[in-house]
Amino acid sequence: MSIEKGKISSQQLLFLIAGFVHGSVLLIDFTVGITEHQTWMVILAGLVITVPVIVSYVALAKRFPGMNLVQINDMVYGRFLGKIISIYYIFFFMMTLSFNIRDVGELYITFLMQDTPFIFLLIVFTATCAFAVAKGVEVLARTSHLFVVTGLFAIISTFILLIDQMDFSNFLPLFELPFIKIFQGIHIVSVIPFGETVVFLMIMGCLNKTEHAVKNTLSGLLVGAVSLFIVAIRNTAVLGRTQTIWTSASFQSIRLINIGTVLTRMDFLIGIAQTILMFLKCSIFLYVTVVAISQLFGLKSYLPLVLPLAGIEVILAATVFQSPVDHATITQNAGIIYSVPLIFVFPPLSLLIAKIRGLPKPERGKGT
Amino acid sequence: MGKKMNFRIMKLIICFFMLPVLSGCLGARQINDLEIVIGMGVDKEEESGNVLLTAQVVKVDMSGGGAANARGGGGEDSEGYWNVSSKGKSIFEAVRQITHKTGNRLFISHNQAVIFGNDVATEGLQAYIDFFLRAHEMRPTALILVSEKKASEVLDAKPETEKYPAMNIAKLVKTYGFTSHFYEVNMEDFASCMMSDTMAPLAPLVSIVQENDCKEIYISGMAAFKNGKMVGTLNHDEARGVLWVLGKVKSGVIIVPSPNKQGEAILEIIKAKSKVKPGIKDGKIVMHIEIKNEVSLSEQTTTEKLATIEALEKIQEATSEVIRQEVMAAFEKSKDLKADIFGFGEMLHKKYSKEWKSIKDNWDEIYPTIELNIDIESKIIKTDLLKKPVSQNKEEK
Repeated sequence: MSIEKGKISSQQLLFLIAGFVHGSVLLIDFTVGITEHQTWMVILAGLVITVPVIVSYVALAKRFPGMNLVQINDMVYGRFLGKIISIYYIFFFMMTLSFNIRDVGELYITFLMQDTPFIFLLIVFTATCAFAVAKGVEVLARTSHLFVVTGLFAIISTFILLIDQMDFSNFLPLFELPFIKIFQGIHIVSVIPFGETVVFLMIMGCLNKTEHAVKNTLSGLLVGAVSLFIVAIRNTAVLGRTQTIWTSASFQSIRLINIGTVLTRMDFLIGIAQTILMFLKCSIFLYVTVVAISQLFGLKSYLPLVLPLAGIEVILAATVFQSPVDHATITQNAGIIYSVPLIFVFPPLSLLIAKIRGLPKPERGKGT
Repeated sequence: MGKKMNFRIMKLIICFFMLPVLSGCLGARQINDLEIVIGMGVDKEEESGNVLLTAQVVKVDMSGGGAANARGGGGEDSEGYWNVSSKGKSIFEAVRQITHKTGNRLFISHNQAVIFGNDVATEGLQAYIDFFLRAHEMRPTALILVSEKKASEVLDAKPETEKYPAMNIAKLVKTYGFTSHFYEVNMEDFASCMMSDTMAPLAPLVSIVQENDCKEIYISGMAAFKNGKMVGTLNHDEARGVLWVLGKVKSGVIIVPSPNKQGEAILEIIKAKSKVKPGIKDGKIVMHIEIKNEVSLSEQTTTEKLATIEALEKIQEATSEVIRQEVMAAFEKSKDLKADIFGFGEMLHKKYSKEWKSIKDNWDEIYPTIELNIDIESKIIKTDLLKKPVSQNKEEK
């Protein structure tokens, strides 16, 4: 059976997913450079495309109650092929986690703490994540409410504070960019914030009740998507055509807040919210990676793996890219290609195979 | 039990050891180690072509009020600021060269205004503005100005009521609403205009007048840029013409002849709104500009009673005519400069994105052929405290 004993409610899943998607808010800068003022429609299109895929994740989790992705792969594809696919997933989890840890480091080194050594920031951040993961998924799920509320507060308050600087004619002309750019943008959005929710296939097995899982998963996705959408609207309306030149369009628009020369320099707001949400996202990723690896090797508990893996992730994050330029190029071009089969192909395929083969037979027999 | 206690004590000890390590003081700088910059001027050295950077630094202990005054005693060194300058091939090099004089790195978070000298502006700001946008300490809300002469001279002119020249300049620009003869342009706005294919950025123009032995500075209008290079200047009326179209007029004074031509009525702008609709008719570009404004009668120099319906109507018409002239003056000027200071190009781009591709390439030729269709509606909404002028008005009813 699964090595996680904790149980989460499907409402907690909603907040976990919302926080997870919301944690990628700064990553829409990868898209902004390509899709400029049309980013908002790219986000909507990405959401529409990902919804059926995510419904298939939930269906898969419902079909194999109490099981995580690695177990499902073993069952559907057989021991050998299943293990290979699981290793592919673990590779994806590890790489994405290191990219995300690096994102936090870059955020701090560029905007908040210039002189602090990069590796130090990574270590502190990852150690916190490791601590949270060691506490188990239940703790993460319980705290996610708070994180999501903080994130939404930061986004909505900055939106309100910037309303007088917004120029909604920046969205015109509506359709200007060539389709290929929009397509690339949709691809990035549907993979990076939305498609990464494939990690929840490792967590959905912990659901105590699966009745409302579809509804709650989609609501969580929607909350995350709305926050991405608000941020995209805010950046485009405030910055207009300069939004493509800044390292982080979000930070730049926050820096413009100037209410009566008193309410200025609100960078900290987004700094806090982003750190908290990235913490949630990285913790989920770290948890998932650790559980997947221990499940793959059939360990009794995942706890011994938490610290070593966190260390590996720090080193990966510190060395994987040379600079943010590298980071953006690889993510925009290569990162979204290798993760496509994991997000869009395997889960629906597993569902189909399970349907055809009538899986899972033994579990259902025992359960009922 | 004992083991558990030991473990707890261990944890506590570790926490105490972590305190000094994690206090987050890495890179901390105390206020007396900071050279707080409130204004920067960028000039060009004539012989070498190097950047000549002037930074206005606050003297921390001089600005400290009572104690400092007692010590300074109003001597020759009673200014609260220091204009320190340095040379370099680029702005950043010059900024770091300053440390040869100051001993500390400049702290530019509180920079209020960046002033570009005339020579730098005509050469093109492309090469100079990058640092101010890229540096993380710099705020995108810092103002951008162009000096008629050298930027360093502007920073030298000592204001009477304000303590610091740079603060004074920032104040002058920020209070543009009283006249609407120019408007404040910050780094972000300027960069946004520079990125546009057609739009010509504007920046307030600072001039210096020599009065007896002290210099006074004032904002004499706006400098117009094209492709990052300064191509000309707008005077006050022309600049307001631009603001009418952009809807940025806040307040100001309009002088119109009184109906009997024996004096003038002076009006204060209370509110102004504008709407610009681009149109293409038979291949010709027409901009429909609709300006609505509300004014009040603030002063009159004629003995005639102006607070009558007929007189007010005439004054309203005259007001509209003055505004029309200002807009046309600005448009004529922009045709001369071949600079799209109104941003008509961007408006067309937003509405006619298909046609725009062919228009964009020969915009310079098309721009002077644009027709303006100006529709102005002026309303006098009050006459302040007087109903009639102070006069013997025997013939009035």
